[in-house]
Amino acid sequence: MMLIRAFFSHYHRHPFQLAALAMMIVLATMLWTGVAVLTDQARSSLFQSEEAVEARVHVVRSDGQPVNVDDFADLRMAGVCVAPWLEIQRPPPEGRVIGIDPLAMGCFGESAPGGNSGELDGAPFLDISNAAALAHDGYDSRLYLLANNEHVTLPEGYTVREFSLGPPTGELADSFLLNLDALSLLVLLITGLLVRSVHRLGVAQRQDSFDLLFRFGVPGRRVRQLLALELVVLTGICVLPGLWLGAQLAAVLGGGFGQALDSLFDVTLYAGSTEALPWRAAGIMVLLVLAVCLVDWLVPRLWQSAVGSGRGRLIAALILVMGLVSVALARELATVFAGTALVFAGIGWLTPGLLALLAEKLAAGKEQDGISPLTRWRRRELAVMFRHLALPVVALQFAMATVLAVQALVTTFENTFDEWLAQRLEAEFYVEVPSGVDAGLAGGLLENLEGLGAWHRVSRGEARIGPEGAGSEDGRVSADLFALTPIGELVFDWTLLASLDRPWQKVEQGGVMVNEQLARRQQLEPGDVVEIRVAETVLRASVVAVYADYGRPAGEILMSGAVLPENFSAGFESLSVNPGNLAMADIREQLAEVWNVTDVTVRDNASIRALASRVFGQTFLLTRAISLLTLVLAAVALLIMSWVFFTTRVWYFRLLGIWGLPTRVIRNQLRRLSVTLTLSVTVAALPLGIWLTWVLVSRINPLAFGWSLPMALYPGFWLELAVVAVSTGLLVAHLMRRQLGHRESARKVET
Amino acid sequence: MPDHVLVAEGLSKRFSSGGQPVTVLTDLSFRLSAGESLALVGRSGSGKSTLLNLLCGLQNPDEGTVSVAGELFGKSGKPGSDERWAELRRRSIGVVFQQANLMPALSLVDNVRLRGHLAGHGAGGEREWLERLGVGPEAHRYPDQVSGGQAQRAALAMVFAMAPSVILADEPTGSLDRHTADEVADCLFAIQRDTGCALVLATHDRELASRCDHLLDLSAPHLNRTP
Repeated sequence: MMLIRAFFSHYHRHPFQLAALAMMIVLATMLWTGVAVLTDQARSSLFQSEEAVEARVHVVRSDGQPVNVDDFADLRMAGVCVAPWLEIQRPPPEGRVIGIDPLAMGCFGESAPGGNSGELDGAPFLDISNAAALAHDGYDSRLYLLANNEHVTLPEGYTVREFSLGPPTGELADSFLLNLDALSLLVLLITGLLVRSVHRLGVAQRQDSFDLLFRFGVPGRRVRQLLALELVVLTGICVLPGLWLGAQLAAVLGGGFGQALDSLFDVTLYAGSTEALPWRAAGIMVLLVLAVCLVDWLVPRLWQSAVGSGRGRLIAALILVMGLVSVALARELATVFAGTALVFAGIGWLTPGLLALLAEKLAAGKEQDGISPLTRWRRRELAVMFRHLALPVVALQFAMATVLAVQALVTTFENTFDEWLAQRLEAEFYVEVPSGVDAGLAGGLLENLEGLGAWHRVSRGEARIGPEGAGSEDGRVSADLFALTPIGELVFDWTLLASLDRPWQKVEQGGVMVNEQLARRQQLEPGDVVEIRVAETVLRASVVAVYADYGRPAGEILMSGAVLPENFSAGFESLSVNPGNLAMADIREQLAEVWNVTDVTVRDNASIRALASRVFGQTFLLTRAISLLTLVLAAVALLIMSWVFFTTRVWYFRLLGIWGLPTRVIRNQLRRLSVTLTLSVTVAALPLGIWLTWVLVSRINPLAFGWSLPMALYPGFWLELAVVAVSTGLLVAHLMRRQLGHRESARKVET
Repeated sequence: MPDHVLVAEGLSKRFSSGGQPVTVLTDLSFRLSAGESLALVGRSGSGKSTLLNLLCGLQNPDEGTVSVAGELFGKSGKPGSDERWAELRRRSIGVVFQQANLMPALSLVDNVRLRGHLAGHGAGGEREWLERLGVGPEAHRYPDQVSGGQAQRAALAMVFAMAPSVILADEPTGSLDRHTADEVADCLFAIQRDTGCALVLATHDRELASRCDHLLDLSAPHLNRTP
């Protein structure tokens, strides 16, 4: 008992150190748990959302009129497997729900939407009678007759068409989840570094006590056992509040996340976290804390001593170079991730030593060079701090680099996506051509409308593309075909990644454009000649440009409608229209008249664009929040560590006071020291952050999804981080002011 | 008065211990001229270190005044007195402790240079002081790379490099072995005589105390042979 009392006596004298370690474990658990819950929630939500928006086939009337209950009855009597699908759009927070008839779905078997659980709870599916009641209440509704496959034999007057309730989440969702997973791993790494740094500092400061116990005959093994026991108890106690706080954090951020999903995929966040408390995340955190704190006992001493030596630095440099080369040359995603891990390991290993070396180098200048002895002392102190605070310095560096990369990625994505939206929603209105009508009739009408602005017709279909001379189908791949008629000013402003001269004129003359995904997959460049099989006809065309197409995994070919073969049958057609001096309502009426249908679906692109421009801000809200939280945690850790560390160095500042340096000057020295420390970390984080941004936009995205983003730098973020760093430094200096106190504190110098 | 670089008049100092006032120094006075030395002796807790703190402005007396190089300081700090004390410690009062108290991040020569810089002296002469105190070969070593005696000599070099009017030494040889302590003391007195500064030396060592011109026993003030 006396041994235990002696063992823990350190914390009686330095309760702040115990509090710092406990707080670090709580905060680390909170952050990690929050991220883990949100990632699970995202995965689960997206899975359900995918089911709701999955592309399906439905039966439509050939005359373009909407289907109704009578059509359902007729089709079922004709032996066709169809089921009603009543889509109800309610205002938030309820959002969209889908009414289905489980009995009618019987013939769909395993492919029935809503699963086989039989529970229809409105997330997103509910019983069709309840949905019908909602429709009667005045909510927007639309009835579809779902077919179980596209090859169904239909009575005359009906045809099948593909539809989906929203844009497929596809690769965007995967990208989002990948983003979250990578961020989770980084968070885990950073929290591990932080916990280890606080623990190591505490152990270092208790080393004298341990040595004394050893001299009193207590075996080193016993001391280690007690240390492990102490850590297990502390972790056990601290993980619980961290777990709870993490769940709360996830609940708060989950709201923003749900909103993001709702906007992005046009579905509500269906799945919540089913687990009350994420025990798995807690288990991982306990293991992490024990591993990072007790790893010294497992790693051979020889290896530990090599870490800070010249040989260690050489190994670190080799690891760094290996990582950089792997990432630059990687052809697989796994290699990029492994290379990135190596780069982080190498940089984390090298940074504190290099910063210390630099500080020492700067301290070595002569007085003639303006280096006063006081400046020399401050720089040497800085070098000491870099070495003693190596782990929190590296953690802050990683956190800052992550924030920089995430911010740059998200901002680039938003800006580029805005451009892309402008490109895709180029006209003010979008008109859906009803099934079964002749879109050409609309062309004739629009051509002759006086005062109409720019417009074009888009015919969408399937094509197979391959290199010139591919000959057989084996050499060709499927791609979506977009045919524009006419090629006009609506598309002239598109941003092209690569192109020949006057590309749009060349498209009019029979050239084609391909999207980035197809270009990367087929290694196509402007000037290449390709063979495109459309319907039964093989066209030979030159690639005149490559355009960016974010978020869609499918390859796309864009060509002029004028060169389409006669037998081409469009899967879907639309019109993009700028009404000019005319009213869109009048144009809509005339289109309905020329097509002989009761209603024409017209979308206001301006509102879609306005909504979509908010989409990515909301989508990456979570990512930003997590990365910022990580930064805050790292900054807090550095603050705590610096404070604790400065406390051990306060002796020297007091000595300066005895030597007659005015308090004002001492405080100024302290401020300069702490701010230089935090600012140096920011500077060290910059190249890593920029490199990480490049990896995300130019390596991971193209390898994972086939499209890249332009690499952009945002010095404004750097400035923001510098402000965080300076604030942290100033806060450390401010906390220290009390310990320095007035002149009487100087007598506390050990005499 | 101009002959006395250090004057204490009626100094008293009380502390509170466990809620009870404890008087450490009562009505203490002495005067010290340039080149003179005074030994402060007395049992532990008799107020030797407290008196040194009062003499260099690290603590304020409850009663009495201290005058250093003609500048008078009283009970409560006048506006700006902190700054004046700091100025005096920087330029005129050298303090030596039982431990060397060097900056561990600086080599011995850089420590001496720093102290000289704070005193307003330009670069140069640091090596000579270290040589004179017998630690010239260790000039570029760091405090944790030299022995306690060598570190203490470097601490003395720092003080002499600032050319003080008064040196306050608190058990400067207390942590050294006899032989090294004698060597350090020899250096201290020799250079003090050469530079002509006043020396106040707090010590338990009667032999060391006997080398001073005057002695002040804080345990038995009536036995004092104060200047």
